[in-house]
Amino acid sequence: MTDLTAYRNAARAWIESRVAEFGRDARRGLSPAEDLELGRRYLRAKYEAGYSGISWPKENGGQGLSPTEKLTFDREEILHGFPTEYFSISLGMPVPIMLRYLPDGWKQERAIAALRGDEIWCQLFSEPAAGSDLAALRTRAIQDPDTGDWVLNGQKLWTSWAHLADYGVIVARSDPGVAKHRGLTYFWVDMKAPGVTVRPVTLAAGDAHVNEVYFDDVRIPDAQRLGPVGGGFGVAMETLIIERYSATDPAANGPSIARAIADATRMTRDGRALIEDGRVRERIARNFATQAALAAIHRRALLSLEAGTQPGSEGAIHKLVSVRNRQRLSEFMIDIQGVSGVQWNEQATRKDDWATSWLTAPTGRIAGGADEMLLNTIAERILGLPQDHRPDKGVPFNEIPG
Amino acid sequence: MSVLFDEAQLQIADEAQRLLTAHYSGERLKTYLLERGTFDRELWALFGAQGWTAICYPEAFGGLDLGLLELGLIAEACGAAVTGVAALTSSFALGQALMHFGTDEQQSHWLPRLSAGSAIGAIAFAEGQDMLPGAPTLRIEGGRLSGMKPAVTAGGIADAVIVLAQSENGPVLALVDLAQPGVTRSLLDTFDNSRCTADLTFDDVEARELPGATDALAGAREILRLQAVIVSFEQVGGAQKMLTTARDYALTRRAFGQPIGAFQSVKHRIAEDYVLVELARANAIHAASRAGQSDFGLYAAAARISATEAYDGVSRDAVQVHGGIGVTWEADLHLHQRRARTLSVETGPLVFWEDDVITQLQGTAQ
Repeated sequence: MTDLTAYRNAARAWIESRVAEFGRDARRGLSPAEDLELGRRYLRAKYEAGYSGISWPKENGGQGLSPTEKLTFDREEILHGFPTEYFSISLGMPVPIMLRYLPDGWKQERAIAALRGDEIWCQLFSEPAAGSDLAALRTRAIQDPDTGDWVLNGQKLWTSWAHLADYGVIVARSDPGVAKHRGLTYFWVDMKAPGVTVRPVTLAAGDAHVNEVYFDDVRIPDAQRLGPVGGGFGVAMETLIIERYSATDPAANGPSIARAIADATRMTRDGRALIEDGRVRERIARNFATQAALAAIHRRALLSLEAGTQPGSEGAIHKLVSVRNRQRLSEFMIDIQGVSGVQWNEQATRKDDWATSWLTAPTGRIAGGADEMLLNTIAERILGLPQDHRPDKGVPFNEIPG
Repeated sequence: MSVLFDEAQLQIADEAQRLLTAHYSGERLKTYLLERGTFDRELWALFGAQGWTAICYPEAFGGLDLGLLELGLIAEACGAAVTGVAALTSSFALGQALMHFGTDEQQSHWLPRLSAGSAIGAIAFAEGQDMLPGAPTLRIEGGRLSGMKPAVTAGGIADAVIVLAQSENGPVLALVDLAQPGVTRSLLDTFDNSRCTADLTFDDVEARELPGATDALAGAREILRLQAVIVSFEQVGGAQKMLTTARDYALTRRAFGQPIGAFQSVKHRIAEDYVLVELARANAIHAASRAGQSDFGLYAAAARISATEAYDGVSRDAVQVHGGIGVTWEADLHLHQRRARTLSVETGPLVFWEDDVITQLQGTAQ
């Protein structure tokens, strides 16, 4: 038995011992506050068992192991629907980037508090006019020449879990007179500071985990700056690539193929099981083939990591294909239910309900890189095709036609 | 078997690509396209000399004792070069049938010759639209076979064929030596004439049942799945070649003052094609690594579906990206279009493999 197999077995045993207390079934019917509290308890249990920050350095509260062990653990964890979503952004990017840039001491305390679920960080990047085009953001950071403090004014949008967050990392425009990528600076901000207002945005399926966040004369000391003045875009890019490769679910958090087969076997039309219908067979079989390929790509990426090479396009392929695949299958599974297909249970999750899966799928095709951006990335970085025409290139930000 | 290639495997792939590029061209295939039932003997001799025909056979029969992945890499190189040799996968399928279900005598007679490439094999299960007919029209009685099998790949050149035939006890698999009186080969005009496709008619000819295939339909399905994995690699090779060709052209060809690859309508089409190829490649490699395991059939079918979608889709798009030049006889794109559709149909159409996936998923769900 390899070390990794032993690690996987131990992790699996621990995870399975927690399913009754924290798993999908335990969460059913909880209020949002109760579910968050359950999540915090789960993170504490995980921290104490030594499964938090698996690939982080030990001095930051981590385990000092490789990304392979982390992926191995995550892969087992995602099967059970534990309440980890509140902390996924926090531990994924803001805390690791903070650890890289801030001096020792205070940051270790924050990291451990975040690993234990006691504190949550958010990432304040997107704005109403700056989504895929991140460098187009307009939130202003003006330095007070007397104190050196920065004063933030503006609006961020689509900020996941900002309503729960204690701290956030933020990119703001410190110099509108230079080309858009060069005039940005990166900070961390106390989300409870005066002048910060968080307003939840309700999404199409009724959930409200994203927010708009307003900054009105929010003062922050220069010590809260990460990286050089004007170097914010670089730090933002560094933040976005910290999670080089993450655990994947070929069903993209939708219902499984086994569920589709079971449903189509149970449902009938004109007295015949729907699974006997060639159209149903075709849709499910092709969806399965795609999911099988994603799983195979993931296994190969894990092996590459073990062999010491970085995965390449696997993450982009997975995000692009898996959500689209889920959207199509969910749409179809609603379709074959006939008139009953319109039913929707607001309490259901996207993992166990076709309608919820379908309603929430568009988010997955937009958040964290829209399909079109991923296609550009594949075309430009992997296939060497030309970049899109960018008329704002090299033009000072305040001279770009709005 | 690992799904990361080792040094030896990478060497096999590189060598195959190098040799095929040196010995092969689209011009050569075009001469075969114009004539019904042709076969590239010179290229086949190269396969034998390189040991590519020997890959999946045990050393006792003159083979190299390697696996599906190694043969897959050769098939991938053949797919990229869109070679005119159907026998790579047809001989493989006959060899697998003999290794799985044949007698010692059948094996010792045929396997050394298949391994050396001096004999060519074929399989003939399908009849009309049925890939695996439950009640074949081909009749076998007392070791004598009569009837017809339509559109047998490499049927015009093969030395032996495995047929799915009806005996008094139900369907059986039987081996037929094609060098005997009573065998008639009718070469067919196809849109890919180099496959040497023929209707095979048997008039009271000698045939030997494969005693190991106690359930002939299940046995035939197993052989088809093994062949499908190798063909999937061939399809991936062709799709990858079409992807690269489209990409290169999009970088060279200019319109409205810039390379056409700068237009999102073109660059996104090519990026989508890259994804199709990567999905198909992942499934083919995974299926090859599952040979001999209980879930092999499921992943073989998945590989087949992804590979068919990829090769048809990418070659279709490559022609589109090329515009007018893409539809000419001179450009080699139509060679891939023809081959993509031929490979899709020969080894079982999508509907067959989709049914196979669903049936297996239902089995595992119970």
